[in-house]
Amino acid sequence: MGSAWLTVPRDWIESLGEITRFSGMVLGQVFSGRVFRYFGEALSQAGILILGSTAVIFGLVFTIGLTCGVEGAFFNRSVGAPAYAGVFAAWCNLREAIPYAFGYMLSAKVGTGIVAELGAMRISDEIDALEVMGVPPVTFLAATRMLGAFMTLPFMYIAAIGVGYIASYIVVVEQIGDVSAGGYLLIFWMFQNPPDVMFSLLKAMAMAVVIVLVGCYYGYTASGGPVGVGTATAKSMVLNIVMVHIIGMLGTLVIWGANPRAPIGG
Amino acid sequence: MDGERPEETGEQAQPELAPEIEAALDDLGPAEEVATEIEEYDETAAAEAGPDIVVGTEPAPANGDQFVASDGAVLGQDFVIPGVGPDDVDPYRWHTGIKRDHGGTNAIEVIDLVKQFGRTRILNGLNLGLPDDQISMVLGPSGTGKSVLIKHIVGLLYPDSGDVIVKGESIPALSDDELFEIRKKFGLLFQDGALFGSMNIYDNVAFPLRQHTDKGEDEIESIVTRRLREVGLGEAHFKMPNELSGGMRKRAGFARALVLDPEIVMFDEPDSGLDPVRTALLCELIKEVHAESGGCYLVISHDLGTARRIADFIAVLWKGRIVESGPKEELFESENEFVHQFLGADVTGPLAMD
Repeated sequence: MGSAWLTVPRDWIESLGEITRFSGMVLGQVFSGRVFRYFGEALSQAGILILGSTAVIFGLVFTIGLTCGVEGAFFNRSVGAPAYAGVFAAWCNLREAIPYAFGYMLSAKVGTGIVAELGAMRISDEIDALEVMGVPPVTFLAATRMLGAFMTLPFMYIAAIGVGYIASYIVVVEQIGDVSAGGYLLIFWMFQNPPDVMFSLLKAMAMAVVIVLVGCYYGYTASGGPVGVGTATAKSMVLNIVMVHIIGMLGTLVIWGANPRAPIGG
Repeated sequence: MDGERPEETGEQAQPELAPEIEAALDDLGPAEEVATEIEEYDETAAAEAGPDIVVGTEPAPANGDQFVASDGAVLGQDFVIPGVGPDDVDPYRWHTGIKRDHGGTNAIEVIDLVKQFGRTRILNGLNLGLPDDQISMVLGPSGTGKSVLIKHIVGLLYPDSGDVIVKGESIPALSDDELFEIRKKFGLLFQDGALFGSMNIYDNVAFPLRQHTDKGEDEIESIVTRRLREVGLGEAHFKMPNELSGGMRKRAGFARALVLDPEIVMFDEPDSGLDPVRTALLCELIKEVHAESGGCYLVISHDLGTARRIADFIAVLWKGRIVESGPKEELFESENEFVHQFLGADVTGPLAMD
């Protein structure tokens, strides 16, 4: 009785272990190549991702790019160096804001979508039906979604970076206009290099993998009727948002913490 | 008052030892030797001998006081059975377990199946043999584990103990890959059809063919069309499952279950939520398809009309165990009090509302 307060953290650790085990299973199916037996399904999931999520992700990233531009332009004006707005825009966009925006929208659109879809299939016996028909459900439902994400999201993310850059350019150069296009772009490109883009992509893909796996887990294990699916969706969203921030924070710490790669002072 | 107390405690602190105890203390010898003797105390031997006095626990169940399952678990203490009071000494007094000969070979054999969820024991030593090439039916009141039994047969659930043997293969012992392979021989119609909500009826029925065969789309189309026409859904190819009535969903599920020509077809309450006419039509359909393609059919239900119409072989399940099983005619004439009550839909008998 005295350890009743321990049940909550114990449950957390237990479900974390469950999620890890499930994720290992899914990734095992992907990297062992077993998922390629259902490549058609993976392709269709990739198509659903492209058609369903590109527009909203680009929309959010565009807004975030505008924000970075506004912040950069006014901050640099206030310290008397408006020509250096590109420093802020480059770092804000590539290192933090775009990965986060990407993570948020994936959690909200893709993650919850997967939970709702798989959860509905679980409670209406469709997953059992798959299993009885001799189709391994983890491979067919979860691994194909993971593979679909691997096939599309890197490209979608790289394109999203471009969208963010365009937004910042528009607001700094075209709207506020403290700096010329050439001056802005000189500084903007000076404060980033191809490895930064790769690291940014790494961060975003780490988020994407976690979001898809968490979504698959909560959907696959949903129980308790439609209410249970709703609860599972909410839980997955909470965990995903927390994980997006942990990955964002650790990524910045590990990649740019010790070596900010800023061309300042030679 | 204060003056009296020390005298009293003084007397109690130095009681006179009885002469026997003093003698025993002398026999013990030095303290070290006593310690060795204590260390050598044999736990297993003591456990075998049993405790001298039990303090603070419930009295151990004496035979005849409480029902003890085959694995030693005590009813009411270690587990509960739905519909059985915790003090019931013999919940299986009507379960003769008689297996009347069905005159065929067993396609499915269930041996001493036990399954417990939490404290609730759903199946408790279930034994059953289902004949090949006949329509078998497992009948029983609601909540006695009929669906759980089906899930064990197809390997969706693993038993706590016992075995399920299908066509000579022990289902719980199979690896995942072997299980997925053997499941291609199964067709299962779920209670609500379990059609994939994201696909239309045609794709639903074509799904097993596309996954498990190398057939071309033309061949698939001819098979799917034939199966859908068979179940009376020839016109509903491109409807989504949510556009269909419950009965139509069941029929579409039936078509999907049959599409790979399975050797074993199972129906989980095919008659639930259907009107009497539709139930009768579905029964006719099951009989027709069975007459055409054969195989082991297992229907789970609590509907007597369905049992009369289609069953060749009936097993009556209650409290997680088979009461009696045998060919339909013999079972309908059974002398067993419970079987008689259930198959006669009689209000008086062992089965009550609670």
